[in-house]
Formats: sequence, structure tokens, C-alpha cells
Amino acid sequence: MTSDNTPVLTIRDYSLAYRVPAGKIEVLKGIDLTVHRGEIVGLVGESGSGKSSLASAIMRYLPGNAEENAGEIRLGETDLRAQSQRAMADIRGRRISMVFQDPATSLNPTLRLGEQLAEVLIRHQGLSKDQAWREGEARLAHVGLKTPAEMMRRFPHEVSGGEKQRVVITTAFACNPELIIFDEPTTALDVITARQILDLFGALQAETGVASLYISHDLALLSQTARRVAVLEKGTIVEEGETAALFRAPAHPYTRALIDAVPHPEKPLVEAPVGTTAPPLVRIRDVSVHYGRKGLLDTLLRRDFQRVAGNRSITLDIQPGEVLGIVGESGSGKSTLAKAMTGLNAFEGLIEFDGRPLRGLSDMNRSYRRDVQIIFQHPDASLNPRQKISEILARPIKLYGNKDAGTTRDRIVAMLERVRLPASTIDRYPHQLSGGEKQRIAIARAFLSNPRLVICDEITSALDVSVQASVIELLMELHRETGATYVFITHDINLVRQIAHRIAVMYRGDLIEVAPASAIADPDRKPYTRELLAAVTPPASTQRAQPTLS
Amino acid sequence: MSASYILKRIALIFYTLVVVSLLVFAITQILPADAAVMMLGENATADALEALRQQMGLNDPIWLQYLHWAGGVLQGDFGTSLRTGQPVGPALFSALGTSLTLAAFALVFMLLLAIPMGIIAAVRRGKFADLSVSFISYIGVSLPEFVTATLAVVLVADWWKLLPPAGYVPLTQDFWGGLERLILPVIVVSVMMIAHVSRMVRSELVDVMHTDYIRAARLKGLTPRRVLFRHGLRNALLPTITIVALDVGYLLGGVIVVEEIFSIPGIGRSLMSAIQARDLPVIQAGVMIMATTYAVVNFIADVTYAWLDKRIQYD
Amino acid sequence: MTDFLRRLFRTPQGLLGCLIVGLILLAVVAGSWVTPYGPNDMQALARYKAPSAAHWLGTDQYGRDILSRLLDGARSTVVMAVLATFIGTLGGAILGTGSAYLGGRADEFIMRTVDAVMAIPSLLLALLVVSLLGSNSANALLAIAIAFVPSMARISRSVALTVRKQDYVSAAVARGEGAAYIVLREMLPNVIAPIVVEMTIRVSFAVMLFATLSFLGLGAQPPASDWGLMVSEARQFLHRSYWILLWPSAAIALTAIGFNLLGDGLRDALNPRT
Repeated sequence: MTSDNTPVLTIRDYSLAYRVPAGKIEVLKGIDLTVHRGEIVGLVGESGSGKSSLASAIMRYLPGNAEENAGEIRLGETDLRAQSQRAMADIRGRRISMVFQDPATSLNPTLRLGEQLAEVLIRHQGLSKDQAWREGEARLAHVGLKTPAEMMRRFPHEVSGGEKQRVVITTAFACNPELIIFDEPTTALDVITARQILDLFGALQAETGVASLYISHDLALLSQTARRVAVLEKGTIVEEGETAALFRAPAHPYTRALIDAVPHPEKPLVEAPVGTTAPPLVRIRDVSVHYGRKGLLDTLLRRDFQRVAGNRSITLDIQPGEVLGIVGESGSGKSTLAKAMTGLNAFEGLIEFDGRPLRGLSDMNRSYRRDVQIIFQHPDASLNPRQKISEILARPIKLYGNKDAGTTRDRIVAMLERVRLPASTIDRYPHQLSGGEKQRIAIARAFLSNPRLVICDEITSALDVSVQASVIELLMELHRETGATYVFITHDINLVRQIAHRIAVMYRGDLIEVAPASAIADPDRKPYTRELLAAVTPPASTQRAQPTLS
Repeated sequence: MSASYILKRIALIFYTLVVVSLLVFAITQILPADAAVMMLGENATADALEALRQQMGLNDPIWLQYLHWAGGVLQGDFGTSLRTGQPVGPALFSALGTSLTLAAFALVFMLLLAIPMGIIAAVRRGKFADLSVSFISYIGVSLPEFVTATLAVVLVADWWKLLPPAGYVPLTQDFWGGLERLILPVIVVSVMMIAHVSRMVRSELVDVMHTDYIRAARLKGLTPRRVLFRHGLRNALLPTITIVALDVGYLLGGVIVVEEIFSIPGIGRSLMSAIQARDLPVIQAGVMIMATTYAVVNFIADVTYAWLDKRIQYD
Repeated sequence: MTDFLRRLFRTPQGLLGCLIVGLILLAVVAGSWVTPYGPNDMQALARYKAPSAAHWLGTDQYGRDILSRLLDGARSTVVMAVLATFIGTLGGAILGTGSAYLGGRADEFIMRTVDAVMAIPSLLLALLVVSLLGSNSANALLAIAIAFVPSMARISRSVALTVRKQDYVSAAVARGEGAAYIVLREMLPNVIAPIVVEMTIRVSFAVMLFATLSFLGLGAQPPASDWGLMVSEARQFLHRSYWILLWPSAAIALTAIGFNLLGDGLRDALNPRT
């Protein structure tokens, strides 16, 4: 076993590359990392930084085209690289275990939760089926599941995301491993659930003293959970240190950029709210959206049919020139509202735009379509893969006419410049661009029609922190230049507090309340809003020590 | 799985049969054949023909003829054969028994071969075993039944004299003799399905083995055997149920050719001779019986699937 | 385009499929010019000949040169199969995408009916159509096209529905594009690729179905050099020469394999993930 001064996990000068037809891709270069007993080490990096490859390397679960150098990976005294796959199978789940990002995909959909938990106990602790099942029930009770016996018999699709992740965590802790690797365990969860899972993790960690390697892209979250943090950029650990010290005085420019990119509600990026004397640009009155259609069989059997409500009687005003944030967890109906406003969903009720009433899709004429633009979450999906950028960006110009001077191509090039993309982008296909570049194209497409209202539906969620920051910066710049009104839909509360004048909170199809961004954290907010805000990891601890000037 | 799902699926069977019956009736109505002429011969007098037409209801409006016929079918009366003058139902149902014996043997034979082939190919992906299965599959899906049948008869029956070239003996009469005569037809009719299903099993299993939950199972330290059989196979074979059921349509088509070549008195052969003789009631009944078989098999497959895969609640 | 071909040739299926299909198309186009004999030239003194320098693939029961007949038959068999598949695919694609576009009850009605028609085995459906229209090649073509419509409609619909849900289509709807632009410019280019893959694989089915119809006496009629008919006729003369049977069978199998391989190669080449 591990003596007290031997680290649980030791990685020395480890490099990894993948062989591909075009040559070799280096994913990890000279990694040095240790994790001691009772310690939580955070590993932060953006997509493509190699953080998941490192987890795979530790688990000895690498694809066939992996090529490693002579570096060292040790678990206690055990040289993991010297282990056969059979020996590793004995170590996995017993001495090292792993918690994955999305509990919805990491649990087998056709096996009962109990079996997926008990099988680890049977495999590694030699328990009989009955013993393992009883032990499983006891463990589930321990992680705060109220009806453990019932939970054991359920299938993954019958329980909530948070419950699933509790089962996954219980499985990881089941054999009292020496090391647990957490691979973004809360990223796929809603804010409040994520907070509960984090609290559970903290409690179990303190109780068992297990060494943890916590992989995340979320700096704010790591600043709260990890004692030490290693920053991974393009396969290299550029900086490592005690969390507090690292955030206070980051040495490496990349770390600094990452910390600066984290949204801070205390540093608003918009100017003071506009006066409310002007009449609202949009009035939403009792707008409801329902999904589902009564089936023929239901009609025949005279059965009651319950339609699923996406929005329930939403009433909301949007002031000209303001940035209205809409927050809520998945399924709260925030995207549904955006779709209703852009004519992608049928709705009931009344939307008034600039004094003109709209009662249905047929009332949305060309000038409304021009005035109201929507930008989607996934730029991969919102740009047609078989059209060149020139064709994608020419559409709004062709559709809404050319008020400005210049040819279509000139206008496109000018717009590309405004979203800070080189003019050569015009002849490319979407798949030749990066995620951030694609989102800039989507933004350009929206602004080419000189819109008065731009609806941004989670447009930064699929992007890395640093890319997100630059896209937000661009959006705010366009806001100042054009004076367009924004509806900014997001689940990132820190971000929305930074960029919105007012924030609307939604929950399961209902609008809970609308409050000024500056007053969203007030104690007299509605209970759900308070719960939501309490669940958010405060970014305050990531605040760099600012030289006090004023 | 809810009762309403089963109810809905049963309603679909009836809808299928209504559509098929309308289609078949329409096709047989346009067929250039005069039932009265067929029964009485070319030399019958105009009066006699007219009288028979009157008696058979051939002068009624088409929709009335359809209702008459459909009403009969619902009571199990498929009319009388124009060629033999015998009732269509009993003869066809005994032929159906023969065809179903052939089809059932073929299905079992196919599954016994195709599933292991698919699993081995998926597990040994890119290795020799996988390439061999791939190679066999490509050949298999590219040989129409009449070619395989002809080659099989030439090789096995004519040259090597291992098995009888054709003919059929009911298993109840002479089990071993009947079985011996079934071997070649069963192999021939399964070749295409073996190729198709083994490829499906392979690709499903390859997909499943790349999922997050399989990675999670491996990283829990489970034995490769448990990961494959308990976690992988179950999920990979579920969709195969539906694919096999859809292939039954293809199997029934193959049965027509194989029965023709091996002189097996099944429903396919009855249909072929009825089509050649334009024996309308037999064609109508034969197509209805085939469609019903297909619809029922798919119903069973869908319900089984829904029962095994708890996620499917309704369509 | 060159990029696409490189991707296609990268997989063994794509390379081999292109090669075989290319050879077959060459035979279709140039076959009648290079044949050493006329497809129906009978030589009474050279019947049932095994392959030789004079007759590369031997001769049949009437002393006709098998190679010449195969090359001649390639035109009818392959061209007919491709045409039938194309017509069937077009019909199915229009029905399937139309159904997906309409949505709601119309969609449900159309697809349930298509499912119902699929309960009739496609060979049987083709047999019925041929017996309705009369036995000849043109009617066999139509019969196969009709038999392909239901399954192609199913596939097209599911592809169209997937594309319909994409955000770029939503974006087009939201900015007020007309239905024609959305269907033709946004959806069609993305729907076509998977349908072309499916169509290529279908050609091999059509070749086999065609041959089967001819074999059963319901497709091409003697003395046509249709491959299925050649197999059917050869069966009676097996005891004299098995070459008569072997070559057309091999030709059918090779064509089917070629289109199958090409289809799989195209699928891989068109898949952006690989």
C-alpha cells in the first residue's frame, strides 16, 4: 500500500501522440503531475488541450494508434505502464475509478441501476449477488437517495440526471479506491443539480480521503474545489500551483487569459440601463406554447389528452436598446420562447413588435423577419455544411434588399471585417472554420439585415472560455454600434449578470420574475431565483488581485 | 410497454391488410382476364357467359365486388379457384404450412450463423476474421436465389450426389427424408439474409462498443467477457430483432423463387402458377396471406422489442 | 471533387467498387463495338464449346458466343437496373420528402400506407405488376421501379426529417425564406448524399431482381441476351456444358458486388466524421 509520503498518482515526463495517416499528432508533452492522498488536484484546459487523453493514459485505456514516450505513470508503488490489460482490469474500479461527464450516456440504458452498481462489488470485492445488492442499497442511502431499494431496481431513463450521477459517483467510490478521476462531472447537469453533486463530492472526499484528479474547463468551479490546479494548454502543463496563489498571481500569460475570460457579475460590460420612458419594443402578452398532438387512437377512445406545455402564459416587455437576459435550466422553456418569437413554434397569445400586433406565424411578414434575428447555440448546425460562406452571408442581403451602397460581396467583406474575420473567409466552407469563427459567421449573418432585435440562444455554451469571452466582446461592441436590442438566453448566470440590463428567470415553462441585473442577487427575490443564485459558483475567488488605482 | 401501444400496433395490422387488399383487388381487377371465359372455356356461348357473370357478381359495381370479396375473406372464404374449381382457402393454407416450415428452418439456420458471424467480426474488427465475414457477406448479398439454387443443385445434387435435387416430403410423413430435401432450399433462401444480418449485427455491435457506457463498464474493471455479453450484446442485438422482422418480407420473396426451383408445393409456387394462369382468386388470397404473415411477424417483433427495451413507451 | 475522389479511393470498398463498376460501365458503353461475334450469331458446328482462343468464354447451346452475349446483355441488364432504381428512387424520394415536409396527419397517413405496401414482398409486387402489364423488359423495369418506391420513401423521409430539424433550416425559416429556397437550396443538397448512397446499393438489388424476373419468365423474352434469361435457359443444358450457366451467373454477382462496394465506399467518403 501507499505510504504517507508516496504520492497516490505520480506522472513523470509523460508524452503521448496519436499516429494518423498525415503523420503524428502530439497530444501530451512532458507531463509532470502528482496527486497525494486526501488531495484534490484540478486539471484545467480547453477543448483539445489533451485533458481527456491524460485521463485515458492514467486508466491505460488508449486507442491502438497511441504512441507513448518513456515517461512514467505510477499509482502508489505500482507502475501502471507495466501492467497487462488483464492486470489493469483488476486495478480499474478497485484502485482507480472514474466519474464521467454525462451520466445519461455513461450508464447502460438497458440494465438496472442496481446491477450497474453491484457488478463492481461482485467483481472486485468478491461479494455474492445478494450481498452486493444489499451493499449497493446501503451505499445509495448514504449518498442521499431517499428510496435506495427502489432506485436499485430502476432503469437509467426512469430517474433524473442528478440521481443518475449520484449512482455513478457511488459506483466510483464503491471499492474505496486510492484515486478517482472526475472528468467534468457536472458539465452536463443543471446549475442547482450540479451544486448538489459538488456538495456530495466534497462530503465523500472528506470522508474517504481519496486522492482526486478533477478535470474541468470551469476555472471558477476549480477555484472552489481543488487545492492545487494544473493548467493544460495544447498538451503542456504551463502552470501549476496552490489554487489561491495561482489565481492571485498567475505567472503564465495563458493562465492570465483564462482567468480574465471568466465572466464577473461585478464587472458589467454594458452601459447603464436605458431610460424606460420609451414605449417597449416588444410586448409579450400571455404567450403560451404547447407541444404534442392528439392521436387518432385517443380520439377514438375518447381519452383525455394532455399537451406538453413549453411556455405557460408568458407576459414580458422588452425595452428598445436593452439587453434582456433569460436564464433557467434545461426544459425551462427559454428556447421555446425564442422560437415562438421567431416564428419557429406556433404560439397562443399576443406578441406586439414596435406597436404592431402579431397573433400567429402568418402575421410575421418580411419586415418583421428582417427586424428580428436569431443566433443559435451550435454554429455547426446553424450553418449549412454544403454552402460557402459567400452564399450563407448573401442570403440576408438578397432577402432584405440593399440599402447601403456597394455590391453584395463588398458588404459581406465589410461585415466579415466587423466580426474580425479575414476577407478570405468568404470562399470557405463552414467545416474549414473553427467553432468560434463559425459563431462569428452566424453573428455576421444576423447583423447583415440591420436587425432591431437579436435573439441569442445559448450562443456561447458550445464554445471554450477564451473564445466565449471574445464572442461576447464582439456582441457588446455590435450592441454599442447598432443599438440593437438583445435577448440573451443562457444558463450561465455569471455571464448574464455581466452583460444584461435585466434578467428574466424561467422555470418549467413559467416566467418566475424579471429583475434588474444589479438587483438579481437581492435577498427579496423569489425563492427559485435565490436557489438558482446560491447554486452558482461565485467567481469572486478567481478574482485576480487588481492594482488599486482609484 | 403500455396496452395502448399494443392496441395501436394491432390497429396498424388491420390498416395494412385493408391497404393490401385494396391494392391487390385493384391490380386483379385491371388484369386482362375474364373469369367467366376462364371457367367455361373459349367456346362458351355469350348467353352462358353472361349468366355466369351474373351469378358470380361480375357485373356488379367494383366497390360492391370488393365488399363481397372482403366480406368473404373475413369469414375465411377466399372464393373458388378459376382453374381447379376448388375452394382457394384450404389448398392455400396447406401450402402456407409447407412454406412456413421452410421459412422457419431458414430463419433459425440464418440466426444461428449470422449472429455469431457478426459478433466475431465486430470483436476482431479489422482482423482476418472480420475481413472473411465481410468478404462472405459481399458475395452473399450479391447472389440472387436462383443463381445460388442452380449452383447448389449442380454441385451438391448433380455432381456429388449428396442430396436429392428437388422435391418435397412433409416432415410428418417421413421426417428424415423430408429434412434431407429441405437442406438445400433452406441454405439457398438464407444466404442473402445471413449476409445482411451478420453485417447488421457487426455494425450495431461496433457502434455499441464505442459508446460511453461501454467505456464506463471497461473502466470499472469488468471482465471483457462481461462487458461484451452483459453490456454490449444486449444493446446490439435489440435493433436486430426489427431488422430480421423486416427481412422476413425478403425471405417470403425468396421463398417464391426457391419453391419454384426445388418444386416445393408451398404458397410461393401456388402464387407463381396462379399468376401465370391468371387465376385471380388464388392471386388475391395468396398475396393477402403473405402480407398477413409479414404484418404479424413485424407486430411480434415490435412488441418484443418494446418489451425488452424499456425505453420505448409508445411509438 | 478531387478531394471527394481521394476519400472514395482511400477505402478498399470504394476503390474496388469504382473499379468494378467502371469496368461494367465500359462494357455497357463499348460492349457492342468490341464483341467478336453478334450476340445472336449461331454457329451450328461450335455448340457447347469450353472457353478457347476463338471463344474466350465458350459458346452456348446454339453455338452463340457467350462473351458477345454477355457484353450485349450488359446493356439491357445494367442500364435497365440503373434506370429502374433511378425511377424508383426518384418516386420514393419525392413521396418521402414530401411526406416529411407536410408533417402531421398527412405524414402519418402516407407513411402508414407505405408501411402497409411494404407488407407485400418486393419480388411479389414486381411479379404482380409485370403480370398486370405483360411480360417484357420495359414492364419489368417499371415493376422494379414501383417495388422500390416504398422502401426508398421510408429512407428519404427519415433523412429529410433529420435535415428538417437542423438549425440551418430553422435559421432559413426564421429569416423568412420561401419554401422553394428552403427545400431546394438548404435541404436538398444535404438530403441527396445519403439517398445517392442508398440508390447505388439498390442498383445491385435491381440487377438481381431483374435477373430473377427474367429467370421466372416474366422479364426479358428469348432470344434476348439478358443475363437472368441466359441462366434460366442454361439450366436445361447443364449436362452438356456448365460454362453457359457459370458466366452469366458470375456477371450478375460481379455487378451486384461492384455496386454494393461502391455504395459502401460512397457512404464512408460522404461521411464528414471520417
